[in-house]
Amino acid sequence: MRKTIFIALLLIMTSTTLWAGGYQVSLHGQKQIGMGLIGTSLNLDASASFYNPGALALMPQTLSVQAGASGIFASTAFRMREPSAYRAQTDNSMGTPFYFYAAGMITDRLAAGLAVNTPYGNSLKWEDGWAGRFLIDEISLMALTIQPTLSYKITDNLSVGAGFIYTIGSVDLKRALPVQDHQAEGQVAIEGSTTNYGFNAGILYASDMGLNIGVSYRSRIDMEVDDGDAIFSVPASLKPNFPDSKVSTMLPLPANLDFGLSYQVTRDLMIGMALNYVFWDAYESLAFEFEQNPDLNDTSPREYSNTLIVRAGGEYRLNDAFYLRAGAYYDPSPVNEIYFSPETPSLDNLAFTGGLSFLPMQNLSIDLSLLFILGFEGEREFAPANFGGTYKSRIMIPGLGISYSL
Amino acid sequence: MNFKKIKYILLFLPFFLFSACEAELDEFQADAGELDLTTFVSIGNSLTAGFADNALYRSGQENSIGNILANQLMYAGLAEFTQPLMKDELGLGGRLVLGVVEGSLLPVPMPGDPDPGNFENIFGTEGPFHNMGVPGAQAQHLLFPGYATLNPYFGRFASEPAATVLEDALALEPTFFSLWIGNNDILGYALGGGEGAGITPTVDFQQAYMFMLSQLTAGEARGVIGNIPGITEIPFFNTIPYNPIVLTDQNIVDQLNEAYAPLPHINFSLGQNPLIVEDMDPELAPFYRRQLQEGELVLLTALELLNDPNINYGVEEPLPAAFYLSLEQLSNIENAIDEYNDIIIAAAAEFDLAYVDINAILKETRSGIAFDALEFNTEFVTGGAFSLDGVHLSARGNAIVANAFIAAINSKYNANIPKALVSDYPGIIFP
Repeated sequence: MRKTIFIALLLIMTSTTLWAGGYQVSLHGQKQIGMGLIGTSLNLDASASFYNPGALALMPQTLSVQAGASGIFASTAFRMREPSAYRAQTDNSMGTPFYFYAAGMITDRLAAGLAVNTPYGNSLKWEDGWAGRFLIDEISLMALTIQPTLSYKITDNLSVGAGFIYTIGSVDLKRALPVQDHQAEGQVAIEGSTTNYGFNAGILYASDMGLNIGVSYRSRIDMEVDDGDAIFSVPASLKPNFPDSKVSTMLPLPANLDFGLSYQVTRDLMIGMALNYVFWDAYESLAFEFEQNPDLNDTSPREYSNTLIVRAGGEYRLNDAFYLRAGAYYDPSPVNEIYFSPETPSLDNLAFTGGLSFLPMQNLSIDLSLLFILGFEGEREFAPANFGGTYKSRIMIPGLGISYSL
Repeated sequence: MNFKKIKYILLFLPFFLFSACEAELDEFQADAGELDLTTFVSIGNSLTAGFADNALYRSGQENSIGNILANQLMYAGLAEFTQPLMKDELGLGGRLVLGVVEGSLLPVPMPGDPDPGNFENIFGTEGPFHNMGVPGAQAQHLLFPGYATLNPYFGRFASEPAATVLEDALALEPTFFSLWIGNNDILGYALGGGEGAGITPTVDFQQAYMFMLSQLTAGEARGVIGNIPGITEIPFFNTIPYNPIVLTDQNIVDQLNEAYAPLPHINFSLGQNPLIVEDMDPELAPFYRRQLQEGELVLLTALELLNDPNINYGVEEPLPAAFYLSLEQLSNIENAIDEYNDIIIAAAAEFDLAYVDINAILKETRSGIAFDALEFNTEFVTGGAFSLDGVHLSARGNAIVANAFIAAINSKYNANIPKALVSDYPGIIFP
């Protein structure tokens, strides 16, 4: 049964869409999403394997299984640097990041879990023939991680944990080439996939007074594609200059250091906050090396900066059957303002979230969340190509999950 | 609210949200500033007309500097801009297209016969015309009655055989004009390798130029004028190096040096060697030949001679003097450009006009320049800015220049005219 769900999710998964800063996607639990994506200090259930593996041994259940997905409706608008009357929009399909978690207590003190989710991704398609097509037409980045996790309860208030992260990544991008024949403009399509591994680790202190403090860390994982395919569609007379080729490239998935604090104010009200420090400076440049034609090799600066995401949220228990959640966060853009490529048009984001859980029976919870992200309008440029303008984004992400516990 | 209702709302929520959260940015607000855009007339030469690939043809005219400029002015209120469009893509001239010749890409004549309508006067049926760009025109030509009988491009759209270009332009009562003229006064000399037409004397250029501006600005009309680019920086003069003779065999080097023994100033060595050219300097009598020096420029049209299978031009037979520019000729050209440009910038001040430093743009393009995520340089064919004749601009090159005009107009007249999108215009078409 579990396996069937997993496969079904893989099949419907087209891609995840950019919406967090850069290409990191943090939609890993409907309850956390509802609370502004705080999670580092929470020991709610099996979803702790992602947010803080140290919290897993302090989860209230003996066994927790859950699955969920979100639908990302993202839209980015562009207006060419003034004076220009040119405007463009993205024409994205819905992104569908998903997660699956299972965790249980093996002994009184030791918990084991498995997490499968999509923590990084970016899917973006600009309108056909748009002005930035020589930089990017469409892109889909996806990282699926499979993470076995162990967590150990040192005392009744303190636990630690760590996970081994196996990552399967793929990239698929198209950009126009400035060569044309009578029929069409040239295009290069690059496709590749790779795997790599990393780890996460965390610690949680949960006081008897209702105060939780958590710290977790997720390592950087470099996704190195070395046998990707580059297909060049160019005028026939230029084909010898643009042979189809094996291509290699590398995209770093940045490390994250998270700190969280939450407090059970009353029996029914819990509030919390989290700080996520993302080591985006790992993304210095994007390079493509073409085995069959090194003349086409290209290194393009990115020069991302580290960012600090500030989150706050809370949960209110209405009754045994209904929980309500709300939150907000501010996620500054890691993207360098003069190396702002329209392939990842990540702006300073302010987000508001809401959530709801419905428990038709004690062990089963249906979790809903809604996330609205405002990408602040800003003037950016990709200086090496003299391509700049004003960007703005709006993202709406409804999510649905189901959790079962014993 | 009962549960059923919640379920109903949730089911449709995603569809509702999808339409509700589209990011939108405000539209650009164009503004004519101090300009009256009732009637715009663009006066000039081949560049204004849209001449490219060695011909004036229909799509080239549609992508002319004059037309691009007018299309952008339409955002701020210009209503109409007519052009004497050719009937087809062969047009008038000798249209070149890229072809594959013995495995290499080369400009070749476009096959087919041009529409006879390309040679007929269309003023009566389609005129008058706001694009008054006349390929081949020099400054004085615009004032010359009967020029229509000498220049078929003007003959095609002149109001009558005795009309002058300036008269026809003034008849439209322009409220705003662009004037970019003077290139051909120098270019003719350069294209002839300095052996044919001379450079129009500066005083003659000045007289014609100032007269035109005084006429054009006699009413309330405002205008924009452009200066003369460094015409020897174009691909036509920079594709064949001065030293393309590659020798790899010492025996051949020795044979050549032996053959040229009577001319001690000519020496060959292994590696790259300069072309042997004709030079009528009396000091070089009686053979009148020498090797090119670094800095001297070979015309693109020399390619045909250098590829001649029967005569070994540049080695055994000197390249005729009409196919290169000597250092002295280059300095004549440079001096003329400087003098003309002094006149043009002074005229801009005197008549209070917007001024475009096209000379600076071409210099910048030489070292490589990017617009709208496209890179340009002055390389022949691959550089993107010039058309297949190596002299005239490509459609994208025209857009770059039109944008420079727009920048000058905006700053001079407090206007907010949007720039053209360079990438919207076609690049070189490859087979």
